[in-house]
Amino acid sequence: MRQKFIFIAVGLLAVGLVLSGTIGPVDAQPNFAKVKEYRIERSIPPEAVACIECHKATNPGLFDDWARSRHANANITCLDCHLAQPGDSDVAKGHEKYYGRKDLPYGEQKYKVPIAAIVTPKDCSRCHPDEVTQYSKSKHANTIEIMWKLDPWLNKGMNSDNERKTGCFNCHGTVIEIDANGTVDPTTWPNTGVGRLNVDGSKGSCTSCHTRHRFSVAEARMPEACDQCHLGPDHPQIEIFEESKHGTMYHAYKDEYNFSAAAGTWTPGTDYRAPTCAACHMSGSGKVMGTHDVTERLSWETQAPLTVRPQDFKPLPSGTDWKVEREKMKNICRACHGDSWINDFYNGFDKAVEEYNEVYFKPAKAKLGELYEKGLLDKTKFFDERLEVEFYELWHHEGRRARMGVMMMAPDYAWWHGFYECKLRFANYMEEANHLIETGQKAYIAKDFPNATGDTQKPPKIFDKK
Amino acid sequence: MKKYFIGASLILFGFLIAFPMFSMTYYTMVRTSTPDFCALCHEIKPAVLAWRSSTHVNNPQGFVADCMDCHLPAPHKTFDFFFAKTYHGAKDLVKHFFLKEYDRKKNREAAYNAFDNAQCQKCHRNLLAMPDKRGAMLAHRSVLYARAGYEKKCVDCHYDLVHNESLSIMYKQYRRLPYQAKGLRKL
Repeated sequence: MRQKFIFIAVGLLAVGLVLSGTIGPVDAQPNFAKVKEYRIERSIPPEAVACIECHKATNPGLFDDWARSRHANANITCLDCHLAQPGDSDVAKGHEKYYGRKDLPYGEQKYKVPIAAIVTPKDCSRCHPDEVTQYSKSKHANTIEIMWKLDPWLNKGMNSDNERKTGCFNCHGTVIEIDANGTVDPTTWPNTGVGRLNVDGSKGSCTSCHTRHRFSVAEARMPEACDQCHLGPDHPQIEIFEESKHGTMYHAYKDEYNFSAAAGTWTPGTDYRAPTCAACHMSGSGKVMGTHDVTERLSWETQAPLTVRPQDFKPLPSGTDWKVEREKMKNICRACHGDSWINDFYNGFDKAVEEYNEVYFKPAKAKLGELYEKGLLDKTKFFDERLEVEFYELWHHEGRRARMGVMMMAPDYAWWHGFYECKLRFANYMEEANHLIETGQKAYIAKDFPNATGDTQKPPKIFDKK
Repeated sequence: MKKYFIGASLILFGFLIAFPMFSMTYYTMVRTSTPDFCALCHEIKPAVLAWRSSTHVNNPQGFVADCMDCHLPAPHKTFDFFFAKTYHGAKDLVKHFFLKEYDRKKNREAAYNAFDNAQCQKCHRNLLAMPDKRGAMLAHRSVLYARAGYEKKCVDCHYDLVHNESLSIMYKQYRRLPYQAKGLRKL
């Protein structure tokens, strides 16, 4: 009897323990992370409180990002960037209906304000005018114009509109259009391309590098901010960086880097050991002032077909003097390198540029001209004849890899992915070209070149202004 | 004695001529400095009408910024003020009679180019202490203590403020949302 009682008591205790260990926590801890709290204790317009409270519930990720940002620290709310003027063409029409939804917190008419989904550099310039001024004259902000002035894929319509939207324009940017319904044309949006043309006429997107909604200076100082676009066969800057000593040291020591130093105080040797992309191309160092114009400190356009000085780059002359800019870049180097090191490095770079221009590009270009002139190649389209592709890859792929590999000191990209490939390409190209010239045989034109359906009209919003 | 008499009468004579001249000049300056006077020309009338419905007239302080307050150098720069006013008066008169069409867009641009920050800063002086507008504090700092080569005008960001065609009168005190600059005009 007594044994039975103990058995029941122990059994009840066990059941009780199991229940207390499960039911309670299940209620208190649903299978979701707790949404970050944000108590509105600071002076914020009630309309902005409505934005925060509603989006906290509907888009917790977006809210949380903002709540961790410097903007939230400074009490810069949604309205400071997203508020539109009544009647602006980019006012989000669909957004207004949320102010009538009783099931949403703050879904009341009294909080209704015109909101634009797309925030542009012009909006950012209200608080950051100098940064936007620098950025808007860079090759970054003007990349759509440059692309349309140079690129045969677009100008000859050799790829499809969707190949462009998902490929080219994802990095370069779209021309944002408002469609007949007054909403943003879905073929042009979403897009955070670095050269996006916005409805207000401003160019680019600050969120290309300072991603929404954290807008972090630290993020843009990391090479990972750049490698979303600067990678791959045609301009493998990130791979080049990774191979270089700079990249090696970055990976070894990045945990010690102070990426979130205040703007203008990020200091080589103190806050970082080896430079990242931003450190050399943008950040201030020594007497050199920081800039949001990534083109500024360049002394060669190594992405151009024929390497030229930035002031002579026809699609977008930089308006700089390359000698001044090279001196600036040398001053950046001087934080960690001595003069003989810097000068000897630049001698090698200049020599590589000269060899690429004179030995590879100019003769190949001259040969291409000769083939067109003799009618052996057909000028109507590009890429539909093998020699055109070969010529394109010579400058656009391995020619860039060679020059950039030398510039940023990645031996594999300078040689194996660069000049080695240039050499083979050049030899094969010349052999085929000479064969056509000697025999007078016309090149084969691809009859089934796929998906060459893209629009060939240059975007009027950019080109009709000129 | 006679010498002093001649001297004294010359001075007196000088006063007799100078006083009416000064007072007439002053009178003319005052009379030609009102918005009503500016609105006498049909070219300028729309600008004056728009100004009347703007917050530069309708605000809780009861302060009114007249045409001259913004569009001419500060009166303490006396020479600049007189020179600019006379020059503009003469130029406008000639253009009124000889120019066929008044290009509003072009003239708006010309006005923006002519603005000097000192003209705005006659009234808008406390530009850094705005605890509820951190962004404005940041931007104003970059104007007041501009980095070399990045000097900016107030009107680069604050434009379309006054001369907007509006069906209703804008009262600053009844603005529902805080005022925001519109960002760099020339982007």
